[in-house]
Order: sequence, then C-alpha cells, then structure tokens
Amino acid sequence: MSSMKNKRFNLLLIALVTLVAVWSLWPTWSDYSLSRQLNSYRSAQDSLKYALSHREELENARKKSLKLGLDLRGGMHLVMEVDQIDLFEQKAWNKDAKFTEIMNSVRAKAAKSDASVLELIVAEFKIENIRLSRYFYDIRNSDREIISKLEKESDDALSRAKEIIRNRIDQYGVAEPVITTQGSRKIIIELPGISDQNRVRNLLKGTAKLEFRLLRDPEVLVRTLDRINTYLVQNGTAPPAAVSDSSASKPLSASLPVPGSPAGAAPAAPATAANQNAAKPLYNVVGVSENGNAYTSEQSKEFVLSLLKRSDIQALLPLDTELLLAAKPDVGPSGEKLYSVYLVKKSPELTGGVITEAKATFGSEGVQPEVTMSMNSEGTSKWARITGANIGKRIAIVLDGAVYSAPVVQSKIPGGNSVINGIESLEEAKDLEIVLKAGALPAPVRIIEERTVGPSLGADYIRAGMLSLSWSFLAVSVFMLLYYKKAGIAADIALVLNILIVLSVLAGFSASLSLPGIAGIVLTIGMAVDANVLIYERIREELDASKGLTSSIELGYDRAFSSILDSHVTTMVAAFLLYTYGIGPIQGFALTLMIGTAASLFTSIVVTKEIFSFLMGKNLLSEKSFG
Amino acid sequence: MRIFHKTNFDFIGFRKIAYGFSLILLASGLISLAVKGLNYGIDFRGGSEVLIRFDKNIDVSAVRAVLDEAGISGSLKQYGLDRSFLFSTVFSGETNELKSLVSGAFDARLKNNPHEIVRIDAVGPSIASDLKWSALKALLASLIAILLYVGIRFEIKFATAGVIAIFHDILSVLGLFSLLGGLFDFMPLEMDQSIIAAFLTIAGYSITDTVVVYDRIRERIRGQKPADYERIFNESMNQTLSRTIITSGTVLLSVFVLFIFAGPAIRGFAFAVFCGILIGTYSSIFVAAPLVFDWLRLSKTPVHLRGSKVS
Repeated sequence: MSSMKNKRFNLLLIALVTLVAVWSLWPTWSDYSLSRQLNSYRSAQDSLKYALSHREELENARKKSLKLGLDLRGGMHLVMEVDQIDLFEQKAWNKDAKFTEIMNSVRAKAAKSDASVLELIVAEFKIENIRLSRYFYDIRNSDREIISKLEKESDDALSRAKEIIRNRIDQYGVAEPVITTQGSRKIIIELPGISDQNRVRNLLKGTAKLEFRLLRDPEVLVRTLDRINTYLVQNGTAPPAAVSDSSASKPLSASLPVPGSPAGAAPAAPATAANQNAAKPLYNVVGVSENGNAYTSEQSKEFVLSLLKRSDIQALLPLDTELLLAAKPDVGPSGEKLYSVYLVKKSPELTGGVITEAKATFGSEGVQPEVTMSMNSEGTSKWARITGANIGKRIAIVLDGAVYSAPVVQSKIPGGNSVINGIESLEEAKDLEIVLKAGALPAPVRIIEERTVGPSLGADYIRAGMLSLSWSFLAVSVFMLLYYKKAGIAADIALVLNILIVLSVLAGFSASLSLPGIAGIVLTIGMAVDANVLIYERIREELDASKGLTSSIELGYDRAFSSILDSHVTTMVAAFLLYTYGIGPIQGFALTLMIGTAASLFTSIVVTKEIFSFLMGKNLLSEKSFG
Repeated sequence: MRIFHKTNFDFIGFRKIAYGFSLILLASGLISLAVKGLNYGIDFRGGSEVLIRFDKNIDVSAVRAVLDEAGISGSLKQYGLDRSFLFSTVFSGETNELKSLVSGAFDARLKNNPHEIVRIDAVGPSIASDLKWSALKALLASLIAILLYVGIRFEIKFATAGVIAIFHDILSVLGLFSLLGGLFDFMPLEMDQSIIAAFLTIAGYSITDTVVVYDRIRERIRGQKPADYERIFNESMNQTLSRTIITSGTVLLSVFVLFIFAGPAIRGFAFAVFCGILIGTYSSIFVAAPLVFDWLRLSKTPVHLRGSKVS
C-alpha cells in the first residue's frame, strides 16, 4: 500500500486537487477584492474610472466567481404552472355541454390532487364511458393514440412556454436569470436582484393572447343584457350586494351614473327596496347608456366577471358571442372608474400570431402611450380584407380576454398596421411590447409558488452564514488540536482543503451558494473530521497494544477504513436522495453535503496519511503525537 | 487528552432500562403527535408569509393590533428576536396585493416606526402537497437504500436493527417537534422542507454511529460462540465508545454553532439535527446493538457476516 510509486502518485494527486481548487476559486477572490477596491473610492467618479480601466478583469472575475443563491443576494423565486386543462380544452374540436361538464369536474379534481391532468381526464372519460376521439383529433384514433398525442402537446406547450417566458425576461433585462422546467407542467424561474417585483410578475403571468374581434351591434348587446336580467330574476339570483362583499358597502347602482344617460335603461336612484333590487339583478351592476354602451363600476367588476363565467349565463348569449370587459377603466363624470362591457364575436378575425413587430410609443397627440404593431404578409392581406369588409363597424382589440380598445374601422388598412391604445403608462406600453414580441403562451400560466427575499435580509443571511462557518471551523479545529495534538494539525489541514474543495466545486460547476448550502458546509466541517477521529482512535488503540508507531498508523488507517466507507456511503445516499427529491434551497444543502462528504473521503484519508508519512520522514512524529 | 478511555460499562445489561426509556420517549412523542399534532410551515400547508422588520423595538401585540384594525386576517408571530415579525395568511397568487395591504396598514398606523418587508413567500396548495410527497418519498427511499446497503455490508439483522434505530431517532425528534412546537419565540419548530433535510441528515448520521459500533462487533464476533456474545457486544461498545462520542461531539459542535449564529431560518433545522444526533448516538449504543444482540440470542443461530476483513 505504501510503495514509493503509490506515494508519489498520492502527492501528485493532492497537489493537483489543491491547484485546481485554488484555480477555480481564484476568480471569486479577485471579484471580491476588485469589488472592495471599487467600494473603497470615495467619489463615484473615481470608482467609475477604476471600473472602466479594469473592465475586462472585472467581468471575467464576476463571470467565473462563486455565485450566491437568491436568498443571499436577494431576488425572486417563482414556480409557474401551465394550465393544462385550458390547453387540452383548446385541442378539443367539439366542445358540447357534456365536454364542459367533464372538464369542470377534472378542474375540480386537479385542484386537489397532484395526479397528472391527462390521467384525470382519461379517468373521467372512462367513468362516463366516452371515447376520447369524440372530442379530440380524429374519430378513428384510439384512446391510446390520442393520449400520446395530447402528452406530446403538453410537453411542447411546456417547453414553448419556457422559451416565451425566457424571451420576456431577457427583453425586460434581468442579470443571470435561471429558468427551468420541472415535471410536466411547472416552470421554475429564479430572478436575482429584482427591484420591481410587481412589474415582473405581471410581465410573466399574462398569456399575451392577442385577438382582433368584431363587435356586435349595440341593439344586440342591450337585448342580451335584458335576457340575462330576466333570467336572473326568474332564477332568483341574489343581488350582488349579498354575493360579493366588496360591493356590500354601498348600493352599486348609485355609483353608476352612466355618462350621457340621466335615465333610460340605466338605473336611476339607488334602489332601497329589496324587491326592487331583485327586479333587476343585472342592472344593479351594469349600466347602459343611451347610445347602447354598457358599463360596470370598479366595485362590481369582479362580480360581473364571475357572472360571465357561469355556463348558464353563457348559454343566454347569441351564438358565437362573448361578453368581455374593458382592460382599463374610463373615468365617469364624478371621477369614478367605469369598465365598458362589450359583446364581441367569439371567433377572432385575426390573432396575434401574425404580429412581427411591436413598439411602444406615444400616440399622435404625444401624450397617450400606445403600442404599434406590424404584421407579416399573411396577416397584412387578411387585415386588409377584414378592415375592408367592415368599414363603419367596430373591431375590438382583445388581449388576454380584456378589451383594450374597440375603434370604428374608418377605411381599409392595407399596410398591416394596428395599434393598441388605452394604456396607462409608457412603462406598461413597454411591457406590452415585450410580451407581444415574445409571442403568446400556448396556455395560461399561474404563479403557484413565490419566494422573495429582499437585499437587506440577504445581507443578514450572508453575515449569519459567515459567522457560522468561521465559528464552527474554529471550534472543531481547536478541539482536534487539543484532543489529538500534532495529529490534530493534519486533520485541520485536511479540513481546510475540504472546505476549499466544496467551494471550488460549487464555483466550477456554477452552482450557487445559498444559506442552506452554507449550513451544509458547516455540517460537513463537523462530519469531515469524523473519519480522522475514527482513524486516530484506532491508532491510539494499536499504540496501546504496543504495535509500534509505523505499523499502528498503518493499521489504524486500514482498519478504520471500512467504518469510514460505510458511514460516508450512508450519508451520501441520504444527501443524494435529498438532492433528487428536494426542491430549491434544500438542494443546495444536499449538494454541499454530498460534495463535502465525498471530499472528506479524500482529504481525511489520503491527505492526512501523506502528512504523517512526511512527518515520519523528518522524524517529527512520535507516539505522543496522537495525544 | 483522552475521554472514555478503557471504560467498562455493561451496556447490554442496561438494555431493558434503555428500551423502557426509548418506549417512553417514543410514546410521549406519538401521543403528542396524535393530540397536539405538528405545526406545518407554508412549504407543506400552503399559504403566504410576510416577514416584516421594524426600525425600532415594538411589541408583538401592538403589531397585531394594527393588522386587526386594518382588517387583515392571519397570524402574527415574533420571528427570531430582532424586531422582526412573521405574518402568515392564506395563499394568494397576488403577493403584491398582500404586500401593499400590510405595508399600507403599517405606514398609516405606525408612522414613527418605519418598517421593511424583507421577505415574502407564497406557496400554493397544490405545490405544498407536491412538496410533502417528495419529502416523504425522499425519506422512504433513503431508509430503503440504507437498509439495503447495511444489509449487504453486514447482515439483515444488523441492517434491520439499524433502520429501527433510525426510525427511533426520527420519530423521537418528530415527537419533540410536536411537544415543543410553538413554545419558543426564537425557534418556531415548524415542519418544512428544511426539517425533512434534517431528518435525512439524522438518518445518514444515525447509521454512521451505528456502523462504527457494528463494525467492531463484526470484527470480533467472527468464530465466537453465542455464549460469548454478551461479553463481545459489551467490549465492542466500550472500545468504540470514545470514537462514538467524539465523532458525534464534533458534529454537535458544528450544529450548535449553526443554532446560535445562522439565524431563525436555520434554527429549526439545527435544533432537529442536534437532537437527532444526540438521540442517534444514544440509540446506536442502547437500541441498535442491543436489538441485534437480543435477536441473535433468540434466534440461536450463529451469524454469517459479510464484508468484514480481518487482517
């Protein structure tokens, strides 16, 4: 075991590992010292000058330095889920009442279980004894063929959604975002150092489904609203005041003096009597102006939206139409916010797929932000045909189910241009530009987990982590020195190398160091010396049995090895499984523990043994060296 | 320096008392689990949490009063001990609304004590159940893997007793979490992902300690008569006592440092690992090895050990 050749190999290996570790951590060190240098300048000018003159060095160091996790540097961790039910609904070519019923029941089940949506759908179809081909793909397809097609659809949708989200984030401009998919419907997004979390959230969650849809005539809208109102009266639906508590504070009709309609179809004075309320459940929340425009107030918006989602209400609408609300409110005469209600055709004339370019600008008057869009050739010719055929009619520009504007077509538009207006700020216009350019998501996405750490807490975590690291190193290494004397030095050197290896492996593979990761290193410090303890205790035992120094050391390493191997393997197994099943921060802990345990096999056995044989060669080791 | 040098404890003789102690420990934990249950963190129950830090000292009841007054429902707790409070409420996808609601309430009512929202976590119910399942899967898989590994390296009786000891350790810590949960402001003792990490660490470490004892027993028991087993077990445990204690000691030292310095986010984890290693060290001497001994005694067949090499 200790032939000359072997010894030289071990020495070379130790030197190589140390060199690689130092080399891999060098950028981290230089990044740290450069940043310190930068911060040491008193004026911003000096530090800028330094930054410019050392730009390449700085960039290189930063790129290769050890990354800090989101919890340490502050940032946002998001898990988004692609709405697979919506996706599969889109794929169905035949959506009758039965289908809607099945999908609603799937939706209810999916909310409670984590089984795959497709499995739930298949199970539900089995219960109903209906073949999938009645709704999906070709009637001749077998269930299995359809399942595999739908599976592929959902995989595609997930990867497309990931790409689109990446596009949006890249265009928004976030340094070092990490976007990965997990399972069949989750996208994990890590965004370090985000200051405007709300903007990012809005940027990410919109589907960006752009549609141009024809508006139905005002008479049809009014007739439809009447029909819904009558239906609600007959079915005894409670007035919204009792349904939505946000609107409970005041009668909504009071806040609905629709512009240009003192009386007419719009409700007049607030209805005090309950029976009067019941007589017009819809008109309590929706007002209609003389010229046939319908409105709802800010407070009752949620209630109206929930009403419009009901399938019995949808059944009352004229064929191929849908009631939509405006994306942005208009301001009423007394300053209240009113949302227009539109009756639009369900099938869009044109969709956002044809958009090639989008640009946020200010409108003709130079104050109102808007987004101008241009279309590809196919879209241009279609758009020309649509606008040409509908002069004098209104076309609604619908984004994610909300109407941005519904301009009257003045003339045929040949150039493939269109505009979204009704935008509040230039910032919002810019975000619209981003999502339109990145394209529409294949299905809606939802934020199902969000963790945000502010930079100040991150700084606290770093301080706490560093304190724990140094104290634990100090405590353990001093203990080893006290308990094992000279042999303790060897264990401590091995410990330093162990920590270096863990950090350098993290840096080398661009894994990031998080607070749980630091906890993993601290734990590693305690565990890494275990191997040395086992060896040293065994050596002591052999020394007690008067085996002589050289052979005691030899025997100590030999006989302790099987315990060391077993204990390391079991710790590694636990850490590996934790890494496999763990999510986010816990993986950081598992990773450092794994690297640390593996490294300790090398450092506490090979390195300490080399140190002993070196000391033996110099006659610096005696039986007393093991305490 | 030498501690526990040439000891001569009759561990096997003590085993009945130890079994009794373990049973009481486990039973009280299990009763507490059944009666009081566990505090789940938002990882496993879903919900939103806002961590708020104030510039100046403020009483938790004052903060709670502000939230009550503003009509924001949820529970508020002191977090760590540094002017920070953790407010938890039901899950909402719109953390921004929650943030502005909370922020607005404090801005309006606590003007002279500025606050900062330093962390917001929101975990949806579906992901919470995902997390729970993957945690359970990880635990189960690691127990099976350890059983297999120790079974291959030693013998099935050793492996089973080792895994029983792991169960003993994890259940004891779980019981402690239930018993002590919510009693201390400086550590909430909530079940979350980090506690699962702690359990896996405990599982890995518990078997480490046990293996050290097993290894020595294996080395010495080969070719011996069953009548000598009690003596061999006792001697083996006494011989390895020093290393069992010292190895655990260094890890306990590190975990203690974590508990003190690493902040409230890690404190529950550090507490779990600390207790787990303490109990794990005890169980490898008083549970795992005695169980193997009793099993061998009752089955009356000589052991067929694998993997040991004696030079």
